[in-house]
Amino acid sequence: MDDAKKMLEIRGFLQLDAFLKKKYGKMPIFLEIDGPISGLELSEKLGINRDDIEVIFVNGFVQQIDYILNPGDRMAFLPPGCPGPYRIALGFYGKNQDNAANFKIKKDE
Amino acid sequence: MQKFIRIDMTTLKSTITEVPAKYAGLGGRALTSCFVNDEVNPTCHPLGKNNKIIFAPGLLSGTSAPNSGRMSVGAKSPLTGTIKESNTGGSASQMLAKMGIKAFVIEGKPADDQFYVIKLDINGVTIEAAPAEILGGCGNYEAIRILGEKYGAHVGIALAGPAGEYRMPAANISFKDPDGNMRSAGRGGLGAVLGSKNVKAIVIDETGAGKVPIADPEAFMAASKVFAKALLDHPVAGKGLALYGTDVLINILNEAGGLPAKNFTAGRIDFNDNFSGETMNATITERGGDGKVSHGCHKGCIIRCSQWYPDKQGKYITSGFEYETIWGLGANSEIKDFDTIAYIDRAMDDVGIDSIETAVAVAVAMEGGLIPWGDGDRVLEIVKEMATPTPLARIIAGGAGVVGKVCGLYRTPVVKDQAIPAYDPRAIKGIGLTYATTPMGADHTAGYCISGNILKIGADIDPLKKDGQIEYARAMQIGTAAVDSTGMCLFVYFGVADNPAGYQALIDMINAQYGINLSSDDVDELGKTVLRFERDFNKRAGFTNAHDRLPEFMEYEAIEPHNVVWDFSPEEIDEVMKF
Repeated sequence: MDDAKKMLEIRGFLQLDAFLKKKYGKMPIFLEIDGPISGLELSEKLGINRDDIEVIFVNGFVQQIDYILNPGDRMAFLPPGCPGPYRIALGFYGKNQDNAANFKIKKDE
Repeated sequence: MQKFIRIDMTTLKSTITEVPAKYAGLGGRALTSCFVNDEVNPTCHPLGKNNKIIFAPGLLSGTSAPNSGRMSVGAKSPLTGTIKESNTGGSASQMLAKMGIKAFVIEGKPADDQFYVIKLDINGVTIEAAPAEILGGCGNYEAIRILGEKYGAHVGIALAGPAGEYRMPAANISFKDPDGNMRSAGRGGLGAVLGSKNVKAIVIDETGAGKVPIADPEAFMAASKVFAKALLDHPVAGKGLALYGTDVLINILNEAGGLPAKNFTAGRIDFNDNFSGETMNATITERGGDGKVSHGCHKGCIIRCSQWYPDKQGKYITSGFEYETIWGLGANSEIKDFDTIAYIDRAMDDVGIDSIETAVAVAVAMEGGLIPWGDGDRVLEIVKEMATPTPLARIIAGGAGVVGKVCGLYRTPVVKDQAIPAYDPRAIKGIGLTYATTPMGADHTAGYCISGNILKIGADIDPLKKDGQIEYARAMQIGTAAVDSTGMCLFVYFGVADNPAGYQALIDMINAQYGINLSSDDVDELGKTVLRFERDFNKRAGFTNAHDRLPEFMEYEAIEPHNVVWDFSPEEIDEVMKF
């Protein structure tokens, strides 16, 4: 596997845009990984708060947070707050139904 | 007594009557579409004497219900030839409701070229000659200042800008917002209809008006509190829209591969960070001055998705700087400088032209060789020229369909001659079904809300697959037609869709205001009824199912990154409106 194929291409949106730009000085971030890693594990590696993730994008598709990422993937973290019917049309509503930090009213309220 | 006002521009006389019984239970889009279907000859010329234009606050407008200050404007559209409802914020809706005006209609047409100002106040209607200085190319910002000096800073104002005066098909109606800036009933060219009746401005003075009567004030207040909490608890209202505006969608649609680029030839760009919502937030925050990250377009708005975007010195450039405009000039026309896009947005507000139609028309003109790709300075010049229109300015203001024909192009992204907005139907198929079938021509706001349990509709949607999309597009259009009738901003949808208590509170507020007992099924039925009115008008105007189609090029030109085409058959598309 060459170096480019080991890289994950990572973005963050809404408040994670400023967070990742401040932490890494640029967007997107390229991170070398040796094998598969879940979105949740990646978020922990990057210091992203779990409550700041509603869904993730992987190669242009909405996925839930524990979706497995592979070297060469393009991914993005999306916090709660995406407006519009696109939430349904892009497939948010099938994802993360059991997570406390998803689009629904938070469970602790 | 609620009032129904008719203003005849042929005779310059008005009549004020009780609200006809069949309109008494309607508001907003339900009222405008029912009226247009009843009284406008579907085959009339939209700019002739037989078209009528109606302004109607929503059912909840003028009350203390959060986000209830929207107004519907209806007529036959000069852009599409269909029925049209165009929706706006600003101050006018709440003022009209407090004055007890259920709706006012402008009909007829003067025999001469004199333009007029119509004034509505507690004593009735006054029609007077428009001040000469606001005619013949005066921008909307200056016209609002002049009218404010004449009639008072407190009045509400609706304007046909220069584009409306010159009856250009993409002309909007501009409404003064609480800060004296502009909101627009943007789509479908209703500014040209107002201009065709020689109405330059409508001034609304609520002095002396009382409060909107509420049948059960305690129940109303209780429901209003639940509703407000549902909105504010939701991260879309509390975080997404308030901090990043609708422009938050640039990065999201780009990542999804559904951001139409370079006149709909791709679904993703690499310069999205130039003008994303996140960049807008950072830019406004850094520049300070007049800049505001968050701002409401009408009193009582608690979502506050608007903003004031300043220049490098902190001086106000524009507000209500929306995703669809930024997408159209940025991704779709390759104008990469955010400030240039902001100045064009301001210029479009100033001449009173629909920023979505114009932005898409600009990209088509770029493909046709009329404007160099990405040349924002030239686009700004052309938009300014719409004030005293040059031939090229008139062509662009004719809309994307006109530009495509003039340039001899097949890749013209319109449905029923209205430009397709910022969500590519090939990569987000449910939106495509709405674009194809809405009676309005391509309109993203026609499919925005679902009443009832969203998970029944949306749990298994895959944007690239057909499964569930017909049901999705149908439910969204029915729900939206109902919400458009309440005077509510469509963005309340997030709070009511994800929180059953919020949806019930919306119905409870209507029930408490009018002393009625609507159920959610009744609200659903209202949405269906509205769509039936609109479809009936279009059918009598000559539209058939064959007009409910996306442009053909989307069937054989795939877009990256998903390499997808539009693949719904005519028979499948026609299922959407079967209910």
